[in-house]
Amino acid sequence: MTHTSELQAALAAAVSAGNLLLDYYDEKLAVSTKESMRDIATEVDRLAEERIIKALREQADPDIAIFTEEQGRVGDAGGSREWFVDALDGTVNYVNRIPFFSVSVALALNGHPEVGVVYNPMVSDLYYAATGIGVFKNQMRLSIRDKVPEECLFAVAFSGKTFDPARRGQEFQLLGEVNDASRGCLRTGSAAMNLAYVAEGRLGGCWGKANKFWDVAAGLLLAELAGARVQFRHVDGEQPLVNYLATVPSAWDFIYERAQSALALKEA
Amino acid sequence: MGRLSLLVFGAGAIGRGYLPWVFPPDQYEYRYVEADPMMRTRLSESGRFTTFKTVNGEYEALEVPVAECLAPGESASALSKVDAVITAVGPRNVRSLGNTLRGLSLPVVCCENDSAVPRRLAAATGNARVVLGIPDVIASNTAPDRLLAVDPLGLVTEDGECFVDQAVSDLGGNCHYVDEEELDNQWRAKLYIHNTPHCIAAYLGSVRGVSYLHEAMDHPRIHAVVQGVMDEMARMLELRYRMNQGFVRWYSGKELRRFSNTLLYDPVARVAREPFRKLAHNDRLIGAAELCLSCGVVPENVILGIMAAFWYEASDDPDINIRYLRAALEPSEFLRMIIRLRPGEALYEIVLDRWDQNVATLSELRS
Repeated sequence: MTHTSELQAALAAAVSAGNLLLDYYDEKLAVSTKESMRDIATEVDRLAEERIIKALREQADPDIAIFTEEQGRVGDAGGSREWFVDALDGTVNYVNRIPFFSVSVALALNGHPEVGVVYNPMVSDLYYAATGIGVFKNQMRLSIRDKVPEECLFAVAFSGKTFDPARRGQEFQLLGEVNDASRGCLRTGSAAMNLAYVAEGRLGGCWGKANKFWDVAAGLLLAELAGARVQFRHVDGEQPLVNYLATVPSAWDFIYERAQSALALKEA
Repeated sequence: MGRLSLLVFGAGAIGRGYLPWVFPPDQYEYRYVEADPMMRTRLSESGRFTTFKTVNGEYEALEVPVAECLAPGESASALSKVDAVITAVGPRNVRSLGNTLRGLSLPVVCCENDSAVPRRLAAATGNARVVLGIPDVIASNTAPDRLLAVDPLGLVTEDGECFVDQAVSDLGGNCHYVDEEELDNQWRAKLYIHNTPHCIAAYLGSVRGVSYLHEAMDHPRIHAVVQGVMDEMARMLELRYRMNQGFVRWYSGKELRRFSNTLLYDPVARVAREPFRKLAHNDRLIGAAELCLSCGVVPENVILGIMAAFWYEASDDPDINIRYLRAALEPSEFLRMIIRLRPGEALYEIVLDRWDQNVATLSELRS
């Protein structure tokens, strides 16, 4: 099954929201804090989100529920298909005018992404994928080239400070170990962009613990369809949180062995 | 001298259809490397195929024995048995040959539609004898039913000319070995008087819904646009490169006749393949239009052709994503983000200005 109309709707929605992010980039924005000091939102998050909801409602099946970062679930639950939307992944970067953030829009079928778009409007990098169609950046079809971990740059997206605080030290330890045994390990501030960069081959891999599914759903599909090895697991019954790992094939064991105790990717 | 052995990468229109007329099978042995498993099996089982050349409105047949047909991963075994390598796999696929051909000192002739390919392959392989070959010909990767009844592996080519860098002239055959200047001249003529109008005819034919190029050229509006493209290219080549206008006129006339050749059965899908590659900034569409504008020529026909390329929608094409992007994005976004034209530059503004008018023209062609 292909998802032509959903992909087109997601592309239009992501680019439209990205244009709005650009319009407000140089504005001084009021910031509200959510779960932690790093977990913030601005008026632009909400405006961009509304723009995406409007586009998805108009251009795709309006009965598909939309899960968003700021508004929660929009529409009726119960369908097998759901949109997962982060209108601004990397808000901290955005408010500090660091040009590394993205719009992330994904359609998941029974919790597995089938359509995904990640858009960084600052450099017009548009990543998109759909099962049965493939994975692309702008006009280019993507397919990663495998490489050994020693030649890879990695990235990590940390969990919220309030999730599993007792084991938080493991996350820092893992970052340090990988950083010292490879070309380095970044904390970029945008999990969606990390995964898009894995799909493109700029990063050899990335992982995250208890990341919001709307941050990473699109990126997980990009990485998977580009040929990365990908595993993710929903880790919370109430919130859409996932642990995940995505790497080029030859770097999988290298990260997996180190990350397993922190990410617990395999079901017990 | 005994028969020379050739290893040809790509058993398609040029590799099978045309090369045996340049390097005749009574003097050259043919080994192929082909990615399509079905074609490999058929060639291996048959051990031969027939290529048909159109001459004076008739077909001339040439039977070509095939010593072996290998998968891309098996080519190393053949390299020790051959005297030369010829590539005809498409510019995007040549990249994968770097490792296979590394360290060889054999002559390698790249019959690819990108003049930068030999330089890149020479750098990747460390072989200074990698050169450009320009088959000035239209070859089809199929044949009309009556010829396929004679040989199911048959394919049709024109009676063309092949220009090859004189650095490998010891290879012989029926080709013109020329110096760098003449090769540049031939390349420009091929790129702008052949490739540009050829693919535009195919994109317009695709919009029209026809299968073969001669069917597209049969439509008066398409014929007129293609003629207009050639006129724009001729003007640009005169202003930019001081190319001899007599040569350009002769070349243009020859190409128009070729595109309309009813014996050739040149598939629109073959010529229109990979629109994004053809829309690259140094290639036959955007590149050609930019060159025209730099000389003060507004290439209205090329711009219509560019729009037709945006509308190319073959579901099995590697660049099928053009369809989703064009449908999802605003024209200005599509031009800026995907085609990478900059707002404010002439081509961006002109394409955008003519967008609705050209969409209407394409709609008329469709109906």
